[in-house]
Amino acid sequence: MMGGENSMKNENGFGGILVIAEQCGGEIHRVSYELLNKASGLKRRPDTALDCLLLGPAGLAAQELNFRGADTVYYIQGEEFEQQEELFYKENIVDFIREKKPETVLMGATAFGRSLAPRVAAALGTGLTADCTDLQLDEDGRLIQIRPAFSDNIFAHIRTAADPQMATVRYKEFREAKRDEKLPVKIEVRRPCRSADVLSQVVENIPLGDLDISEAEVIVAAGRGVRRKEDLEMLSELAQALGGQLGVSRALVDAGMAPSARQVGYSGNRVKPKVYIACGISGAPQHLAGMKESDMIVAVNTDPSAPIFRLADYGFVGDLYEIVPQMIAAWGKGGRQADRSGRPADDEGTADGERPVESAEGGLEQ
Amino acid sequence: MKILVLVKEVPDMERVKFDSERGVVDRSSAEAEINPFDESALQAAVDLKEQLRTQEGARAGTRPEGDTEAGSHAETEEPAEITVLTMGPPRAEKSLRDAYARGADRCVLLTDRAFGGSDTCATARTLAAAVRRLGGFDLILCGEKSVDGDTAQVGAETAEFLGLPHAYYAEKISLSVAEAFVTVENLGGRKQIRRLTLPAVVGVTKNIASPKLPTVRRKLESLEISIETIGLEDLNGLLTADETGFKGSPTKVAKIRVPEELQKENLLIREDADRFIRVVGEKLVERGIIQEGCR
Amino acid sequence: MREQIIRELIDITGPDYVTADREQIQSYIFDQVEETYRPEPSRDFVVVKPGRTEEVSQIMKLASREKIPVVVRGGGTGLAGGCTPIYSSIVISMERMNRIVEIDADNMMAVLEAGVTLMELLTELEKYEGLSFPVHPGDEGAQMGGMAVTNAGGARAVRHGVMRKHIMGVEAVLPSGEVLELGGKLIKNNAGYNLTQLLLGSEGTLAVITRVILKIYPKDKYSATIVAPFPHFENACRAVMDILKSGSVPLAVEYMDKRLFVGTAEMLGLEWQAKEGDSDLLIILSEKTEEQLYNSVREINEICRKNSCLETLFAGKKREQDELLLVRSQHYEYIKNDICDSFDMAVPVSQVPAFIGDLKHLAEEYHTGTNVIAHIADGNVHNDILYVDGKIPNYAAELKQRMYDACFSHGGTITGEHGVGKIRVNDLLRQKDPAELELMRGIKKVFDPDNIMNPGTVI
Repeated sequence: MMGGENSMKNENGFGGILVIAEQCGGEIHRVSYELLNKASGLKRRPDTALDCLLLGPAGLAAQELNFRGADTVYYIQGEEFEQQEELFYKENIVDFIREKKPETVLMGATAFGRSLAPRVAAALGTGLTADCTDLQLDEDGRLIQIRPAFSDNIFAHIRTAADPQMATVRYKEFREAKRDEKLPVKIEVRRPCRSADVLSQVVENIPLGDLDISEAEVIVAAGRGVRRKEDLEMLSELAQALGGQLGVSRALVDAGMAPSARQVGYSGNRVKPKVYIACGISGAPQHLAGMKESDMIVAVNTDPSAPIFRLADYGFVGDLYEIVPQMIAAWGKGGRQADRSGRPADDEGTADGERPVESAEGGLEQ
Repeated sequence: MKILVLVKEVPDMERVKFDSERGVVDRSSAEAEINPFDESALQAAVDLKEQLRTQEGARAGTRPEGDTEAGSHAETEEPAEITVLTMGPPRAEKSLRDAYARGADRCVLLTDRAFGGSDTCATARTLAAAVRRLGGFDLILCGEKSVDGDTAQVGAETAEFLGLPHAYYAEKISLSVAEAFVTVENLGGRKQIRRLTLPAVVGVTKNIASPKLPTVRRKLESLEISIETIGLEDLNGLLTADETGFKGSPTKVAKIRVPEELQKENLLIREDADRFIRVVGEKLVERGIIQEGCR
Repeated sequence: MREQIIRELIDITGPDYVTADREQIQSYIFDQVEETYRPEPSRDFVVVKPGRTEEVSQIMKLASREKIPVVVRGGGTGLAGGCTPIYSSIVISMERMNRIVEIDADNMMAVLEAGVTLMELLTELEKYEGLSFPVHPGDEGAQMGGMAVTNAGGARAVRHGVMRKHIMGVEAVLPSGEVLELGGKLIKNNAGYNLTQLLLGSEGTLAVITRVILKIYPKDKYSATIVAPFPHFENACRAVMDILKSGSVPLAVEYMDKRLFVGTAEMLGLEWQAKEGDSDLLIILSEKTEEQLYNSVREINEICRKNSCLETLFAGKKREQDELLLVRSQHYEYIKNDICDSFDMAVPVSQVPAFIGDLKHLAEEYHTGTNVIAHIADGNVHNDILYVDGKIPNYAAELKQRMYDACFSHGGTITGEHGVGKIRVNDLLRQKDPAELELMRGIKKVFDPDNIMNPGTVI
């Protein structure tokens, strides 16, 4: 792998790209497909190897990674990988990297990825660039790793002098690689190793409860333009379709239509989502103070002079009761519907209407 | 019990300014302070110490009568000592004074010109050397990340260099003799309870403890205390000049870009609902909120 | 509102900025007065949002010609019902006149349109090294015009006084449509009656303020808040007077009944950290250098200690100070369902302990309670009357009168900072001498002969 020919290795003997896929609860995390998509654009040459390392229990749909562009999927099978525990993962990844010497190693900047990748990098004595939002190649074919810092106020361009060059990449930063079932399936199943004492063990896993709206990536917020409490359902539906949360203005909290935990404003939650959709909110200064930092602001209001429009990137003058159902109809089916953990529902699978089951040459256990 | 808290000094993020022309962070624009996540780690340490004190007190109370010597001993000896370690320029001692005001017993500044320009890898290596030098810690706490670099790497890398287990995103820690039970807030969409053999490194979230206000008395005292320092020389045999600072850093910042304030498109659409849905839909696809194929 | 008027308004500002739609004008009715004590609004009004002084002038000409009442609306953060239209009216919302005309760092003055919010001003001043504006009524959505015309106060009056002290001039539109430039960037200006000052505190009853010239100040870079718990209220009051005498003038000294601090913090998911004692003060300090700050902290801490203070706490970070202020400012959310009327009386600082004692005794006499919140170092005391079984008690009017009597006996006033508005018009009659009231009415007539400027307000 990693290019059989010497010409594909750099002067330190490292070559090719390795994407470390993530899995949880029997499913491959979608960030893996995003990584494959980005990685395919980072090949030094058309024939640079792009391989995938999957660590998990038996029975994962490893061939999906082939369909998304991985040349070879190295599948280290072990029930222990069901528990997200860094030391066991680290040991197996580090052994694999020492053996295969990929020049570039990419991991998802999920919660687990962010905890695991630094251990791997430190064990290899190499550098790691965390939470990248973009990766480019320089003239020498080495990575320029671009990551935000200072709460996204600056972007640093970072190079790694050592090998492999390692980066974690933000989830939902890139599109997923297109799925192509015609791509050859090549899976090599391996057994895990454990040499050290068990110093860290997962004792219990507990499902998560509610998350507060200040963490939501998308907020659909309702204001006085919503006439009845029941009508908030419609906006909730839009929020869900976009994988977001429902927010409200103070007026609705005062009117007892929503709990103050959902209130956005100077005296409520100050929020900074990727997308803020204000429906029927005129934009009192106290409300604007709580959401003006949002990356993209969309507003729907009947009053063309509503102050919210001054702040909005995109505004629609009209009745939310007419436009919101259209928004749900248009965007709902394409929503990623990420659940609270950030783990997306299998919308793509349902869109395709099927889930691949055929056994691959590497021996996929059903 | 010896607890170490790793802290980083960061600029106050609510005030710091950025120069988009020169591509630099204007650090003079804001006061430096302890990274808020590390402040929670320090508070967690103070809370753990308080718990141990209560437990110890209870144990002392149940001692058989006549064992007065041991009883009085338990009253005078603190059940835990909290050391705070930071790596940074000499001015970072200000944050250590703040840490003292907030309950640290001992404050150590890891500072040397040779450490300048360290990336996360070199920083972790240097911290690990200092931890070895100070020695004897049962529990090492840090914030899950810093608000400026936001890499969330140094804790786990330090653990790796020390050969210790670690857990991140801890919202609760309970200690027994040789183990810590850590509640991990969110890994793969679920909470996790983790058993770590001590010594161990734990990166905490802000939910583990809300930093309490220091007393005015301790704040004023903190202005007078002396701060221990450790330099490269003090780490002889544990760290070489090649392993730290700019030289010891595998990653280099090639450049910094400060994005200019984005001009709002400020597009107001009337009547044409289809156009509105199409335009906004495109932007939602661009931002990865919805998949392509929808308007 | 007649179609004809709406059409003419549209001619002045364009169609986007005039609305009489029932739904759209909803958010232009009230300010932040308690629901029970809100003035009864008219639902027949039109909202117009002028963009320039010239448009305001034309609107006023139209209103004068047609004798239609005009209510000017700023940020809607008032606490006296001043901006609520009670007759069929034209409501002028100043939100579009939000240009920062000039920050004059040489004269240390800012020229601002009336619709600039406090938040916008503070954000703009951030861009200039070391400039700031000290008056802070609590809600940064307040607009400059509104703050000027209501002579806004706030917690920081201890050191910086109220709005009146900082306005050097205004541009104002008379009911006739005439535009006046009053005052200017002058420290000394002794030519004739000071009409600028007359407009400040007039609550929209004399003219429309469209522009203000505001004094700005060098910023104090270092600030801290001390939480000082005392065993008794009297100790706290004595400490306040000793602090004021010491020369270390704090930015603000805030008092709240302890259970309000504790309860509000709990409501916000926080914890009030001063566990012991019976009465807590928040003492906010701000100084130019760190050394000065710690010197003040030392000195004030010493004064507190001499007055039997318990362990004091130190908030030095912005976040920590903001959190304390949040608890202080959100107490209203904590008590709002229990109170049917709230007050804004002020007495000389030395009278505060006796006055608050009187208020508590009165409440006891009626077998009820009262929440006391005070800008204690400037004598401004907020308290309230509680509902009984969810209803306004039959003794409410009588109790209010007796509270006012107590206030007057200590040389006080019925309103320290909120103003008379529409909810204290009758109360004003109890405080003021008939001759003074007559002069006020006369002045009103000179400015506004047809009584179209915010009728039903102040006088």
